[in-house]
Amino acid sequence: MHENPRNMTQGQFSFLPPLTDDQIKAQIAYAIKQGFAVSVEFTDDPHPRNTYWEMWCQPMFDTKDPAAVMLEVNECRKTWGANHYIKVQAFDNARWRESVAMSFIVNRPKYEPGLALARQEGPGRSIHYTVHSYATDKPRGERYK
Amino acid sequence: MATPTGAKKELKGADRYKAGVLEYKVMGYWQPDYVPKDTDVIALFRITPQPGVEADEAAAAVAGESSTATWTVVWTDRLTAADLYRAKAYRVDKVPNSPDQYFAYIAYDMDLFEPDSIANLTASIIGNVFGFKAVKALRLEDMRIPVAYLKTFQGPPTGVMVERERLDKYGRPLLGATTKPKLGLSGRNYGRVVYEALKGGLDFTKDDENINSQPFMHWRDRFLYCMEAVNRASAATAEVKGHYLNVTAGTVEQMYERAEFAKELGSVIIMIDLVLGYTAIQSISKWARKNDMILHLHRAGNSTYSRQKNHGMNFRVICKWMRMAGVDHIHAGTVVGKLEGDPLMVKGFYDTLLQPHTPVAPELGLFFKQEWASLGKCMPVASGGIHLGQMHQLLHYLGEDVILQFGGGTIGHPDGIQAGAEANRVALESMVQARNEGVDYLAKGPEILAKAAKSCKPLQHGLDTWKNISFNYESTDTPDFTPQVTPAR
Amino acid sequence: MTDQSPEKSEGAQAFPDSFDLEGEFARSNVQAVLEKLDRELVGLAPVKQRIREIAALLLVDKARRSMGLETGAPTLHMSFTGNPGTGKTTVALRMAEILKNLGYVRQGHLISVTRDDLVGQYIGHTAPKTREVIKKAMGGVLFIDEAYYLYKPENERDYGAEAIEILLQVMENQRDDLVVILAGYANRMEVFFQSNPGFRSRIAHHIDFPDYSEKELMSIAQLMVDAQHYVLTPEAQKVLRDYIPRRMKMPHFANARSMRNALDRAKLRQANRLFGRKDRTNLTRHDLTTIEAEDLLQSRVFQV
Repeated sequence: MHENPRNMTQGQFSFLPPLTDDQIKAQIAYAIKQGFAVSVEFTDDPHPRNTYWEMWCQPMFDTKDPAAVMLEVNECRKTWGANHYIKVQAFDNARWRESVAMSFIVNRPKYEPGLALARQEGPGRSIHYTVHSYATDKPRGERYK
Repeated sequence: MATPTGAKKELKGADRYKAGVLEYKVMGYWQPDYVPKDTDVIALFRITPQPGVEADEAAAAVAGESSTATWTVVWTDRLTAADLYRAKAYRVDKVPNSPDQYFAYIAYDMDLFEPDSIANLTASIIGNVFGFKAVKALRLEDMRIPVAYLKTFQGPPTGVMVERERLDKYGRPLLGATTKPKLGLSGRNYGRVVYEALKGGLDFTKDDENINSQPFMHWRDRFLYCMEAVNRASAATAEVKGHYLNVTAGTVEQMYERAEFAKELGSVIIMIDLVLGYTAIQSISKWARKNDMILHLHRAGNSTYSRQKNHGMNFRVICKWMRMAGVDHIHAGTVVGKLEGDPLMVKGFYDTLLQPHTPVAPELGLFFKQEWASLGKCMPVASGGIHLGQMHQLLHYLGEDVILQFGGGTIGHPDGIQAGAEANRVALESMVQARNEGVDYLAKGPEILAKAAKSCKPLQHGLDTWKNISFNYESTDTPDFTPQVTPAR
Repeated sequence: MTDQSPEKSEGAQAFPDSFDLEGEFARSNVQAVLEKLDRELVGLAPVKQRIREIAALLLVDKARRSMGLETGAPTLHMSFTGNPGTGKTTVALRMAEILKNLGYVRQGHLISVTRDDLVGQYIGHTAPKTREVIKKAMGGVLFIDEAYYLYKPENERDYGAEAIEILLQVMENQRDDLVVILAGYANRMEVFFQSNPGFRSRIAHHIDFPDYSEKELMSIAQLMVDAQHYVLTPEAQKVLRDYIPRRMKMPHFANARSMRNALDRAKLRQANRLFGRKDRTNLTRHDLTTIEAEDLLQSRVFQV
């Protein structure tokens, strides 16, 4: 049977081959053209409800050129790239959206253990599920080694 | 009407209330000088009068029958501020290219209606009047709901942006699929389809409209197996996944019971059918707001009255009512799929569901300027005969805030359901990527897909299977105004 | 999908066998920028000549690339040396425009900074500060005035070194994204380059801005006067001609900038003179535009 090789497919482009720097820049250029503020965030916990990744820097509200964002992406990769997920996010402050408008992964840890599913059986065959990120079994700094 | 009195102007005072039968026009239901108030509800009807009935009289009759009138004069009107409660037909236009049809504009004072009740609103506007003999056919085309009245409604329990935040999915249409076959799968087999599709790359799977609790699969069994599948898929992909659990049932009490169970199992979304009725929809909407549940509506039954151009009601009115009643998803056409949907009409539906305000746009079938008074956005769902080979057209016509449902296009994939789901996701992501890169993706769609297929075999096989499938039937519900004028039939 | 960028087609590419240099030059609008520079700046013939040469080089480079001749990404960083007021910033602005027109930078804006914008006062402040400036300049030109202040060898714990390191990295790795122009006095820049060979090796074009001659300074002043809708009386012109060599000998002489300052002060005195007049109820257009000899003669230059 066919199976998708990735076990973490958050973001807009996770099913495509990893974006090249030029492709990342093209997406950032689109975001800037739309008037979005672009930011870079990283985490070592890929849990689907891990909403608050670490902010690498403030959202770049007044940036005119994608190379400026790329600079931060590369700095973040240098510091955290070996064992963290990094994503680029674009924020739209237009009324009726005022939320994230784009989000895509630009870096993955070398080894991705994925997530486990824990089941707690209840009465009447009902089950409570817990999705659990293997990486978080270890303290920060020792994950993904 | 029979027994005309010969009077042409509105009668007042004692003459107006003498026992007997009067033309609706002279009873005060035709007021060509009336300027609608900002707080009036306005309805636009397409009227096909009976031969011999003048257009303004037919319009007055519709105004009368949808508000205070009955067939004969009643003196008890004089105990009320009757002028206020009478609906007023104030404008009649000929329908372009349809000689026997007229657009009638009718204004209703807001006090005719109970706050926060679609049932009450519709009992007036589409209550008796559609069976009325003076009109050969009647269609409710559009409504202007005043801000003051809108503010009494809750609107979508979640709304598009909050839904995206809960799902952590941005910048692209969402993907879904309806479990097939519609009938006969056991709960265990059914959950298999859900697991494969979600793990393969879809965001949502869906119960079909007629999946409730039948002998081949009772609802609890379905819920349990589906949630096992949803959670397995979520763990496998690190994404939030959902299955629209259809809670439609014979009674509202049973519906609540099913909704509670869905919540207990951790589902992010439940589903209802339009055939529930407006009251039940508003009830479950309030439950959904209270319980952080996204509410999906399948528009089962709407084509019974929305498809033919001369009688019934336009689907855009359903869109308005459902945004008021409060659903988060509603099926609203695909343009390119197997179900009815002229591109401009569909754009009118999508704008009605998604925009904070819509200007007058006759070419889209929007006859009124409508302010939405901060009611949330309702996500349109495109479902029915669409496939990955049309991804460029779907993105172009339907935009980013839409759920693309590829039921057959996922489950019918030659390499299996997971492969089908992955093919759809790759097709979508590559198209969004190309669009953002500034590529003319509508023109180059097939090229973009072919290129993406080079590193995704399932996409290649999907393209090979469906590339020539399209549904090119002429639409029956089309705009009356340029750029595409088609006569009604 | 790995590659969607439309300009990169697969396999062998067919190169054209001719290039319309004339047409490309016309399309790039570079001539208009050069003419604007001629109008804005008096003299500076050698500088303008260098700008023309650089523009020609970049155009030919573009032509070569269009025929698939490997040239490598050109280094465009520059140093502008010369005394204050010799037109370095103005030329840098036009240079940014030329680079944009020829497609060597994307946005074509100029960010002008000094040491204080790049270097922080506390540990850990410099890198973010420098990065912030670089981010603002991305897609355009970063003009660092008096660049040698970045390097303070007498202070061991100077944070300037950190800024220099970051700048060098960007100048090397992001040549497509940013052009850096270092500016300052010629002799101090020379010392700076000796102690920071990294900069010298990354700079492709050195342009020296000579001081203006007396005659050129007079023309500059006249241009300024015209542009601001003033008129110098013949006597005032004579005084100004006398003023220039005196000012040049004094400290802090800054070429065109000194001329601007002199005229600004003359305008001030003119206003004061008009205000002190008894018949100030009916000033004429002539009164308001004329700068008299006395407005210049009160300068301290004539008092020493």
